[in-house]
Amino acid sequence: MFVLGFLARRLVQGIVIIFLVSFLIFTLLRVVPGDPARLIVGGMAPDEVVVQKAEELGLNDPIPVQYVRYLGGLLQGDLGNSFIRPKSGASFGGSAYDDPTRGERAAVLDLILDHLPLTLQLAALAIVFCLIISLPLGIAGGLNPGRWQDRLAFFSGSLFVSVPNFWLGIVLTLFFSVQLGWLPAIGYKGFIYTVLPALVLAIEIAPFVIRTLTVSLAQVMQEEFIAIAPIRGLPAWRTVTAHALRNASVPVMNLFGIQLGTLLGGVLVVEYIFDYPGLGLLTINAVLQRDFPLIQGIAICISAIFVLINIVVDLAATAVDPRLEY
Amino acid sequence: MKLDRRSLLRASAMAGLTAGLPVLNTKFLVSEAAAASRPMTFLSAENLTGNWDPSSHTTLAQINLESFVFGYLTRAPMRPDNPDELVMELATEMKILDQHTIEFKLREGVTFHDGKAFSAEDVKATYEYASQPDRPAQWYPGPCKVDIVDDLTVHVKTDEYGYPASLFWFLSAFLPIMSAKDIADGTALSARPNGTGAFKFARQDGNTTVLEAFDGFYLGKPKLPGINFSFVGDATTRTLALLSGEADIIERLEAEQVETIEAKGGFALNKAISVENKYLWFRCSKPPFDDWRLRRAACHAIDRSVILDVLGVSGHPSNAFISPVKFGYVDTPNYPQYDPDKCQSFLAEAGFPNGEGLPELEYITSVGFYPKTKEYGEVITAMLQEQGFPVTLNVMEVAAWNERLYDRPGGGPGHMIDCGWSTGSPEPDLVLRTHFHSSSKRITGIEDPDIDAVLDKERNTVDPAERKRVIQEEVMPLLAERVPAFSLFTSVFIHAMREDLQGLYIYPNGMMDANSADFA
Repeated sequence: MFVLGFLARRLVQGIVIIFLVSFLIFTLLRVVPGDPARLIVGGMAPDEVVVQKAEELGLNDPIPVQYVRYLGGLLQGDLGNSFIRPKSGASFGGSAYDDPTRGERAAVLDLILDHLPLTLQLAALAIVFCLIISLPLGIAGGLNPGRWQDRLAFFSGSLFVSVPNFWLGIVLTLFFSVQLGWLPAIGYKGFIYTVLPALVLAIEIAPFVIRTLTVSLAQVMQEEFIAIAPIRGLPAWRTVTAHALRNASVPVMNLFGIQLGTLLGGVLVVEYIFDYPGLGLLTINAVLQRDFPLIQGIAICISAIFVLINIVVDLAATAVDPRLEY
Repeated sequence: MKLDRRSLLRASAMAGLTAGLPVLNTKFLVSEAAAASRPMTFLSAENLTGNWDPSSHTTLAQINLESFVFGYLTRAPMRPDNPDELVMELATEMKILDQHTIEFKLREGVTFHDGKAFSAEDVKATYEYASQPDRPAQWYPGPCKVDIVDDLTVHVKTDEYGYPASLFWFLSAFLPIMSAKDIADGTALSARPNGTGAFKFARQDGNTTVLEAFDGFYLGKPKLPGINFSFVGDATTRTLALLSGEADIIERLEAEQVETIEAKGGFALNKAISVENKYLWFRCSKPPFDDWRLRRAACHAIDRSVILDVLGVSGHPSNAFISPVKFGYVDTPNYPQYDPDKCQSFLAEAGFPNGEGLPELEYITSVGFYPKTKEYGEVITAMLQEQGFPVTLNVMEVAAWNERLYDRPGGGPGHMIDCGWSTGSPEPDLVLRTHFHSSSKRITGIEDPDIDAVLDKERNTVDPAERKRVIQEEVMPLLAERVPAFSLFTSVFIHAMREDLQGLYIYPNGMMDANSADFA
């Protein structure tokens, strides 16, 4: 019953957040320079064609009116059509305004659904790599405060956080792909193409996990219930795994919810460097091409993912620590 | 040593692993598709239009792709030592019959990718359709009529439209031949490319256009099984893809990437003086650059040798409005040179001494496609400011810049804009008439009766030698005087490819011939 009430409350909050994000993005995109009608008909079209297209799309209506119209479509799952991309999904630019293919634009939802799985795959692998890097360093640091393990965790975290992801991406590609020839790097022809970009993303988010885990675990290890564990006859490894880590994992889980933002932001740069055809590359191209409906659609989709992940994180934290209430 | 059950198991497992290591297949880590990739993968710096009608666009990437898919009546290799050479392709013979008639004899036994036989009706349909003045590409000198003499002979006629048919001599190498059936059905023409070239369109896979070798190609099926033509906007990513073996050929490299590739070894570089000149286009249809004296003042403020220093290997000096590999190029004697005194004198003559009284000027450039545009844009801005021009540089992404490129009624956006112009034919009018005649004036918006008169004169001159003289002695000097645009330099196109990719010919505009290319 608690779970149902919690879910209902958080979903309503989430819908309000998505609604606000969509309004903000919609308004901002309409006040930045760039005429959507001119984009659609192309640079060579005469002005009267641009005016006619603007009228046809309702771009001359006040922004709130346009937004309500957009929201109407959104409620029916219609995110509109790309300004730039035809149904084939390729980038588009520079052709004539009166050609028949101009009318056949890709649906934003289709474009997002085509690219989202690859980004989710990348994000999931990045989290796995992040845990592989962070758990040993963070646990060792947390169990040995003030000793070399703690310093190692601190220094490696500081190193990782100082490395720019675009630089790391290029260096890793030069090393693993160009010099050693072990891993492919550019584009996507199979799962193996996810490894290097995921590693870059993992290194980007690992410092926060390492630090939070170290501090949180060190604190838990000072608690009374840990001190009396040997009196209860528990071996040290069981005290750490079943009690200390469980309590220390709640802040780490909450951090993951927040780090998702970093992850999705990192995806933009990393996918561009690796030419990885996920949501990040789609977003960059949409921004460069001023493809407003696509930018809006991606922003709404990302905010929805963000809201959902945070609900899941909160649920998981409640399951781990029943004292928590949301 | 004591041998128990556990140590025996551990030892045997280690022995098995040691024995297995030499035969461990590490290739499972690498995609087989990449390892066995024999189709040639080309990474393009520019995206395609999504509309396959060749007369619908002026996008260089798509013109390059068309060179694999479509056939042309002739091809122009445009080698610097023989820029006027034409090699017969779909035509076997061409002849100027009179001032308004050019005859093409066509090749027998050629078929389109959809199986239709190529014949005179396709040349007629292509020329009459694509020469219509409302076709956006506007590569044709004007409308024309085509008479079918027999299935393999056509007469292209221009008498009704008052310009000489000889203009189609060099253009025959640049106009892709479409199928008459596709032209009759406009949607099919735009929906997929259908030519007589060595490679046929298979599918669009995201930003990759997949081409397959065409069995029925008239010179025999090409050796490469296909071509993957992919858009990768970032030059560093293109370079990394080549270095790691995931691309076979890449384009539009900058000096530092060339150094990296040369240092790595195992790659071949193709550096060629291209047909592309880069220009500073003035918006001539609105103040203040509607006054040619002010345009001259701006030109004399710019030291082009500094721009060439910034460009390094990507630029070649030239003093004309067309590239040195075009018909009619001349080292124009009165081409504006850096001269601050002349700049000040023209400024004063135009009524703006030391630049006083000039409005705020916007100079638009792009970043991401052409090499070093932002860097030399800053140099030009500083030089203009030094002479008193109140200029602001506006650097834009390619799409936003493209949206602002062309002239509009009342003048295009900004006051100056950076752009190159590259066409795969020695024909100079693809630049001169397209940009400087009042009937087209694509970017500048210029309407100057004197320039119109000399451009009409050179176009109407039938004798090639006399035409060349008119271009060199009358057109270029007048353009150098009125400077509707200032040609800054000629681009050097740099392609890098795997060393074992042999037999690929790269034309000076970036088009390619892969008919006999193969991996050695």
